[in-house]
Amino acid sequence: MSESAAIEYTKVAEIKGPLIIIDGITKASFDELVEIETSDSTRRLGRVLEVGHGKAVVQVFEGTTGLAISGTKAKFLGKTMAMPVSPELLGRVFDGLGRPNDGLPDPIAEKFLDVNGEPMNPERREYPTSFIQTGVSVIDGMLTLVRGQKLPIFSGSGMPHNILAAQIARQATVVGTKEDFAVVFAAIGVQYSEAQYFKRSLEESGALRRSVLFLNLADDPAIERIITPRVALTVAEYLAFDMGMHVLAILTDMTNYEESLLEISAAREEVPGRKGYPGYLYTDLANNYERAGRIRGKNGSVTQVPILSMPADDITHPIPDLTGYITEGQIVLGRDLFRKGVYPPVNVLMSLSRLMKDGVGEGKTRSDHMEVGNQLYDAYSRAQEVRALAEIVGRSGLTGVDLKYLDAGDMFESHFLKQEKDENRGLEETLSRTWDVLSTLPEGELTKIKEKHVRQYYKETK
Amino acid sequence: MSSSSPLERTVDKVLSQKESELISKIDSAYQESLRNLDSSKSKLNSEYMVIIENAKKQAENLKRQIVGSSRLSARNNQLVLIEDSVKTVFEMARKRLLSLHKEPDYEKLMKQALLNSLNEIGKTDLIIECNKTDSGLVRKLVDGINKEKGTKMVAADENVDILGGIRATSSDGTLTYDDSIDSRIERLKPLIRKNIVQILRGSERESWSQKVE
Repeated sequence: MSESAAIEYTKVAEIKGPLIIIDGITKASFDELVEIETSDSTRRLGRVLEVGHGKAVVQVFEGTTGLAISGTKAKFLGKTMAMPVSPELLGRVFDGLGRPNDGLPDPIAEKFLDVNGEPMNPERREYPTSFIQTGVSVIDGMLTLVRGQKLPIFSGSGMPHNILAAQIARQATVVGTKEDFAVVFAAIGVQYSEAQYFKRSLEESGALRRSVLFLNLADDPAIERIITPRVALTVAEYLAFDMGMHVLAILTDMTNYEESLLEISAAREEVPGRKGYPGYLYTDLANNYERAGRIRGKNGSVTQVPILSMPADDITHPIPDLTGYITEGQIVLGRDLFRKGVYPPVNVLMSLSRLMKDGVGEGKTRSDHMEVGNQLYDAYSRAQEVRALAEIVGRSGLTGVDLKYLDAGDMFESHFLKQEKDENRGLEETLSRTWDVLSTLPEGELTKIKEKHVRQYYKETK
Repeated sequence: MSSSSPLERTVDKVLSQKESELISKIDSAYQESLRNLDSSKSKLNSEYMVIIENAKKQAENLKRQIVGSSRLSARNNQLVLIEDSVKTVFEMARKRLLSLHKEPDYEKLMKQALLNSLNEIGKTDLIIECNKTDSGLVRKLVDGINKEKGTKMVAADENVDILGGIRATSSDGTLTYDDSIDSRIERLKPLIRKNIVQILRGSERESWSQKVE
């Protein structure tokens, strides 16, 4: 923390969207924190984006609405934005800039961490191999989340991604160990009702005491969203690598975050890239996503579940497209399933957890886990093909095996995929349900499962 | 001689056949009922166990929720109490800082603040603001530095409401360097709060361990 006094500048040259340009700058550095004082003495925070030729471009987090060229003062604080961290952050609710939002005082800091974090040294990264149970069958059974993984949820407007996110936050746990588990939840540009839902749902389930919430609402200034994932991940890193906890960081909705990046980019008159997003969109996303992982020699882990709504359900949109390059798989929500009333409407055929193979199996979950996951994927894929065929030739034109696949597909959706919003299924129950579905198929169709597992778990129909 | 008629014998035979048939049916029905009762017992037992198991789980969840939220609310109350104590300590410190000008090193501190303001702003014509108590000292120091360094600092005619220290503004009013005690407190507040809390918690622990002993 800087101990020298700060210089205050009063010469505002220009106000441009979320940016103000200060003139006559003698001392300022890139990313330095700036306190803006308006003519009515209210204070806002900002940071330096560019400095040179006696000018500094400052991005105002709380927006520039109400600021005037005369009467506005900018105090350069000589430090970058830092988040006060301590174990007492657990159970607290903050706004998008990391200020208390629960009526309690500022946290007593054990230390102050730069919100930009530091990229993890790739040499010190440890490969993620341990299972996190979410209590959601489709995720645990087929798209297993592994400690230290980054697994985004691709959704669309109006779909229940936030309900799923809250369910994961309530139910997620590390099974079979006494290690501490925590959830850092960053709501970025969400509606007030959604923010209240997250808060209430964690409070009522008793999960709030192991959670830290950052709530940036839809009516908060868009620029604030630039900081929300950063403060959340800073806290996640502290809890993981200083406190040795296994942290699940849920960031919803990253599309809102990228929209504010676009706003700044447009105000800075940068050359636009795909769909008007800045050319450094990939780098910026990677800066956030790569803060997940495990570090050799340290106990904790940061697992990330960023949620992004795809504009017009377009998976080729730059945000999901570039996210897919960085993350280790994706969970895609399907509108067809949503319309059919299936919750969670996960389209498993478009989803994948790249690290699942390393986090499941003997000694981690159950020896048949990976095989049943693959077989279920295969069976549902075949069921979809048969459904398409049945549309043309009708059920009467299908073979006996095809009809079995049709039944398996229906049972997959109604018995395995579908679950209540507050239903927490254990892994054993999830795997038992996979066998319920697979047992509707003839034994000979289960080609991806070892014979010993088929003998042990296949349920003969009476 | 009593001899039954063939009709009576046939009737008796049919009756005895029916009787043994009925008895065996009753017997098998009785056995079946016993079997049903047995299986119902085990079914009932397993259902009973499931209900008890679910109830235990629910009770465990509820217990966790209640204990968790009570712990959280106790912790939150503790945070509020600590913050109240921190505020009281700050108030006391502010009162004590009002007599800071009586300290022997205060003049040195003020001179250093004036020199820093020249250095930080990078201009020589500055307007210096201070509180009423320090105005005499500031005028003296400003004159001294102007003579020594050839600068054009002037002490402002009006005083400002600060605990101590100075506020320097460039003559065109575009730059301000705030080195008042108030701004120093504000700047270092998070660190000071941490130290106060450590002291408070240390004394809490001591008093607790004394109670235990």
